[in-house]
Amino acid sequence: MTTRRGFIASLLAASALPSLSWADAGSPAYLAAAKLVDGTFALYGITTKGETAFAIPLPARGHAATAHPTRPEAVAFARRPGIYAIILNCANGAVMTRLAPPDGIQFNGHGAFSQDGHVLYTSEVIATTSEGRIGLWDATDGYSRIGSWASGGIGPHDLKRLPGSDALVVANGGIQTDPQDRTKLNIATMRPNLAYLNASGTITDLVELPPEYRQNSIRHLAIATDSTVAFAMQWEGDDAEPAPLLGLHKQGNVPQMCGVPESEMFVMQGYAGSIAFDPTGQEVAITSSHGGAVQIYGRDGTFLAGILRADASGIAPATTGFLLTDGFGAVSTIVDHSLTTITQGSTLWDNHLVALT
Amino acid sequence: MMLRWLALCTFCAAPLHADVTEAVDQYILPGYAAFADATKALDAAATADCTAATVIPSYQAAFDAWLGVSVLRFGPAEIDGRSLAIQFWPDPKSLGPKAQNALLRAQDKAALDPTAFAQVSVAARGLMSLERLLYPSDPLPAGDYPCALIRATASDLARLAFLIHAEWQTDFAAALKTAGSPDNSRYTTQAEARQALYTALITGFEFVGDDRVGRPLGTFDKPRPERAEAHASGRSLRNVNLSLAALQHLAKALVPIAPATDAAFGRAFEVAGNVQDPAFADVATPQGWLRAQILQQAIWAARDATIAEVGAALQVGVGFNAADGD
Repeated sequence: MTTRRGFIASLLAASALPSLSWADAGSPAYLAAAKLVDGTFALYGITTKGETAFAIPLPARGHAATAHPTRPEAVAFARRPGIYAIILNCANGAVMTRLAPPDGIQFNGHGAFSQDGHVLYTSEVIATTSEGRIGLWDATDGYSRIGSWASGGIGPHDLKRLPGSDALVVANGGIQTDPQDRTKLNIATMRPNLAYLNASGTITDLVELPPEYRQNSIRHLAIATDSTVAFAMQWEGDDAEPAPLLGLHKQGNVPQMCGVPESEMFVMQGYAGSIAFDPTGQEVAITSSHGGAVQIYGRDGTFLAGILRADASGIAPATTGFLLTDGFGAVSTIVDHSLTTITQGSTLWDNHLVALT
Repeated sequence: MMLRWLALCTFCAAPLHADVTEAVDQYILPGYAAFADATKALDAAATADCTAATVIPSYQAAFDAWLGVSVLRFGPAEIDGRSLAIQFWPDPKSLGPKAQNALLRAQDKAALDPTAFAQVSVAARGLMSLERLLYPSDPLPAGDYPCALIRATASDLARLAFLIHAEWQTDFAAALKTAGSPDNSRYTTQAEARQALYTALITGFEFVGDDRVGRPLGTFDKPRPERAEAHASGRSLRNVNLSLAALQHLAKALVPIAPATDAAFGRAFEVAGNVQDPAFADVATPQGWLRAQILQQAIWAARDATIAEVGAALQVGVGFNAADGD
């Protein structure tokens, strides 16, 4: 459906404005939120060499970002409980618009664009109950709110689009939180799931973990080209009884929980923060800022290597291997399971490193 | 003029801020040397005579020495899970007893060869495994296998302690002390080296408070004395005291003058002295539970004072993301 306003807007866009691309934003390969040495916050564009392509101030601490597939536009999400998301023009640093969730709704840190870049999906909760929603915003019309869907669970966090489609997979973390102070309210009874939604928002598949892992909050996702979903978890059970922190799932199968040798069980301190496949899709890495560590697994779920790095946080595919950011200002490569720092600055990188694809 | 400036600056900075070199030379290297010596003595004692009564004194001394350095959860002790191979605790799923019982049942002599034993699950090795053999809750199987297992476990501990100490001496001490120099690829800035030590310090408080005291404490309605660390050997409270002493040693090596931290440690040792049962068995009584809980609170107060004073003097924090969730 084309509204009159949308039609005029797109006509104006086509005729009056030069069409900008990510090259106009310095050709960043990644986005990351950060805290600067003066205590302010910004969204950074980072090149494959770990250098800064752009830096745009943010009003408060950011969490994750999502990049428009073609236009140099980034959505910067506030930390949970999120009362704003900001659409940034990364070519000139301008704030294009600011998204506020409807009354009683909070953003929950992540978002994704539709394949054609027309729709932005945002993970959201109903503030009083933590019931999950997926917000829909029209990226062709100044990001106006156009609807919302049920996310299929409590406390959705990350969401990703499956390759070559507009189907979504949502990490419903299962944790109900206090709308003001993030206090966790339902640890004893939580039931996280992975929810698959088709392009019209119908939940087509709801995947739960085995009962002994119900306290393993599914929080972050990485998707392989064949739509295998790798999910990173945070263990809310007894920290002396560690659980797998990586899972792999392909629709139609049961989820695979990826264990580690006893010598690696405690390294991550029950916390996986970010997750990424390497560019070949044959390896998947999870990071733990709490444990100061990265773990790398094979595509079949076998543990391959552990790397210690203080405050290891954002991770994304590099040209080969992975690119890692940490809360002490370093950007490092991990090639053949070996870490090399390529840039070290005073910018403290936040939880996630988002690859532009 | 230049020289005078330098002299002045050195003079000003020294008392406030002793830092990484002092921590390595005064705390870490002597600590690992003592642990290597104590486990070597344990190995020798077990080789000479594997009966529990003979091995126990050197076992207790080796455990003491381990607590001097167990907070250093980085560097050579973390390679190949060595820290866990030295002490696999807590172990609520009883992975250690299960793996050890499997060895005892199979009487697998080949697994006791030093090279083979180094490949045995970390849960079946180390101080906690030795405790089960020296202070068994059920009689050990007849025959000479338990004796051989005691010897293999003691010898493995000595091997691990020797390796960690040697790697600190030949490599890791220098990496920390020369942090920030151009040819140092491990620590590219001095701040990074300070950070590693400070993280070990704060994580150490968490382990003493949450695990060594917190696990037996459980809740007031459901205390868990059976979860106390090393209760069979009667070491639970001693382990708390010795790990606090190690944390204080590290904090003082990093930042010698920290009066609020000193006072908070003093208070923690004082309230630890009020705990009646060396194995925390009395947390099952209301009075015993409260005394242990007061100890836990004193540990948190010492941690908070350390963050405020030592963290500020070192100009480091626990990490931008490590301190909270997503």
